[in-house]
Amino acid sequence: MTRRIALLALVVTLLTACGGGTHDATKHLLIVVNAPFSNTPYLGHAIENGARLAAGQVNTIGVRVGNDRYLLTVRTMDTGLSPARAVANVRRAVSDGAIAMVDEGTGVDASWRIAARRGVPIGIVFAGGQSLVDAATRPNVFRIAPTDHGIAFRLAEYLIPKHLKVALLHDDSDYGTAGSEELKRAFSGDRGSVAIDETLPADALDLSPQILRARRAHATALVVWGRPATIASAITAARSSGWGVPFYTPPTGADPFVRQQLADHPAWLDGLTFAAGRLTAEVGGQPFAGFAQHYVAAYGVDHVGVHTSAGAAVSEPPETPMYAYDFVNLVAAALTKAGSTDPAKITKGLEDVIVKGANGDERAFNHSSHEGVVDDDVYFARFHDMTYAPVKDDPLSATLPAISQTQ
Amino acid sequence: MTRLVAAAVAALACAGVAHAGVAHAAQRIALPSPIAPLSAEPPLSGGARRSAENVAHSVSATTSVAVAIDRVGTPFAVTATQRLDVRGIGDYFFTIGAPVLAVQAPRDSTAVPGMRTGSIIWAGFNPGERLLVARATLEPAKAVPALPLTIRVSGDAITLENTTTVTVPTFTADAPRPPLIAYLSLLRGEVQDGRTPLQTTVPIASTPTDVHMTVTAPLHVTGTIGARHVDLVLASRAEIRGRGRIDLHAEPVEHVGSVTPAGGRALLREAIQATLMLARANQYEQFLGNPDPAGASRTVYAYRTASPPHAAPIASVGRRRRTWVETALVVAALAAALAAGAAVWSRS
Repeated sequence: MTRRIALLALVVTLLTACGGGTHDATKHLLIVVNAPFSNTPYLGHAIENGARLAAGQVNTIGVRVGNDRYLLTVRTMDTGLSPARAVANVRRAVSDGAIAMVDEGTGVDASWRIAARRGVPIGIVFAGGQSLVDAATRPNVFRIAPTDHGIAFRLAEYLIPKHLKVALLHDDSDYGTAGSEELKRAFSGDRGSVAIDETLPADALDLSPQILRARRAHATALVVWGRPATIASAITAARSSGWGVPFYTPPTGADPFVRQQLADHPAWLDGLTFAAGRLTAEVGGQPFAGFAQHYVAAYGVDHVGVHTSAGAAVSEPPETPMYAYDFVNLVAAALTKAGSTDPAKITKGLEDVIVKGANGDERAFNHSSHEGVVDDDVYFARFHDMTYAPVKDDPLSATLPAISQTQ
Repeated sequence: MTRLVAAAVAALACAGVAHAGVAHAAQRIALPSPIAPLSAEPPLSGGARRSAENVAHSVSATTSVAVAIDRVGTPFAVTATQRLDVRGIGDYFFTIGAPVLAVQAPRDSTAVPGMRTGSIIWAGFNPGERLLVARATLEPAKAVPALPLTIRVSGDAITLENTTTVTVPTFTADAPRPPLIAYLSLLRGEVQDGRTPLQTTVPIASTPTDVHMTVTAPLHVTGTIGARHVDLVLASRAEIRGRGRIDLHAEPVEHVGSVTPAGGRALLREAIQATLMLARANQYEQFLGNPDPAGASRTVYAYRTASPPHAAPIASVGRRRRTWVETALVVAALAAALAAGAAVWSRS
């Protein structure tokens, strides 16, 4: 018995010595990317790559908290666009000690509560649904991506003065339904400009009947809010019937899938105008170009899989990666500010830190808003020859440079 | 920030005197700036600033400060509504310093403000004109000391006191009258036309000496106390007889008086006094600051009697006390568990 007590005392003494106050140690902190890798691999990997690029840069010196140096570890989890799977992923990430989630947005309506129990911040970098983010009721949910609200109101602000008769078409996916609500609100002040409001089946191969109804309603412009496949189908239905009506879309109009689907008829895409978050700041295109160079050096060019009429391969600028990149940098800044690895303190710190974003703009949240992209930063770009450039008939867009999209 | 401004004021004073030291030989001396602040606050929390952008927006700021006072005149809530009329195409990023507890955008605002610890944030793109309106609830303990007026109610005596008075270091010297008369006329014209008054230098005829000057921004106070109408310019203190609800508005008065027939030294003192009074009034026109240093600013302070919110009584939760039998059982169970643990330990 005496020997046991002596042994115990020795062990305790050794453990105490190990915990000395000046000991430096490198530890790892987990950031989980929760995205649809199997269903929309381009989107999933775009988010992952942005997060990994930021983590890699942070890890060159690490984050010092107290006497310890921390490196960020990024782990991916596939949602398969299933809210149930997304929620299960968040549950696992939280139990594995994740300090932050970088999330595409699927399932956040349910998963935020699970993360909130340990104060883990969720950074949405794609979905724009208005209800997803609320600083008061969902204090651990943040977003760096244009909101549906901002996109819809900017579309209305852009289209109403053109005196077009607009057909508001949306698919029946969660994304399309949420966008439809915002479009209705945005055009509510001028319902006379709306020719028809139509729901499109998200999985339909042929949208000719719905497009024909829009034509018979004397629409002179189509706003299509839906998944990339819906947008491609709508364009195909209109153009194959000889209808040259202009198309306007949310950011999904720029998804490589749309161009891939229309690769046999590049002219059908010409004139498609989409609204999205600006890629460049007022300081010019240099910061974003620098970020894109780092991105390409690390992960290669994101080829769209189509060519211009001159034969140049078209690439996709790293927009979604930029948002994931900025969020991880904000988490690192919040970690430093909090001086703690407690996720709840990091969440609080996220409201008070500012980082220089990949596009040169200041990226930050605040106490009353957890949105990292303000509605004013939504711009319009128009396709020509499989690449797009900012339009010239919108005050913001007219100030923005075109981003190179060919190799 | 207080120390910073104090240091700045001290530096200005030193610079003024140092300047004055050589000024006699050079025969000219700089008068105080009619727009430089004379104390740390207002504007609150370091004022407003803009981050570097390519476009320098032109901004006019109008602020309404609502001060809720209790029945003896003590402020218990302060709300500031600031309207920024922003002109010029391009990005904007404004930080408005304030001890802000909450912020919201009224319906007529074209954007929604953000909030950080100690500031209101505006960020976005201005397509040409933007009206940015923020209604901020301020921390009373930090906002009240920067208010220009105190009200004390004792029976039917209501005492209004101008609290803008400050004592600052300056100088005195003999000086020829004509340049001072010309400058005061210019200053009066600029104030009347609503232009930003400019600092100037004047010739002096003797070695300047240090003095301290007490400066107050006069307040134009209007409104009602019960049924009684109030309309006065408050330079220091006024007592008004009346009863009932107080609803008063106070605005700093930017005014330059007529030139008196005083001699050169006295007239120099009047010119310095006039510029410092303008500086003080200008300071209280910027309760929340203006991100455009050259932009126009105006602030109206409204004091209204209101009922302070009462803390809700803490609900008493009935706690059932353990009986002595239950206590004895708990102690016995703990002792048994301890004994069992010791037995297991000794046999392991």
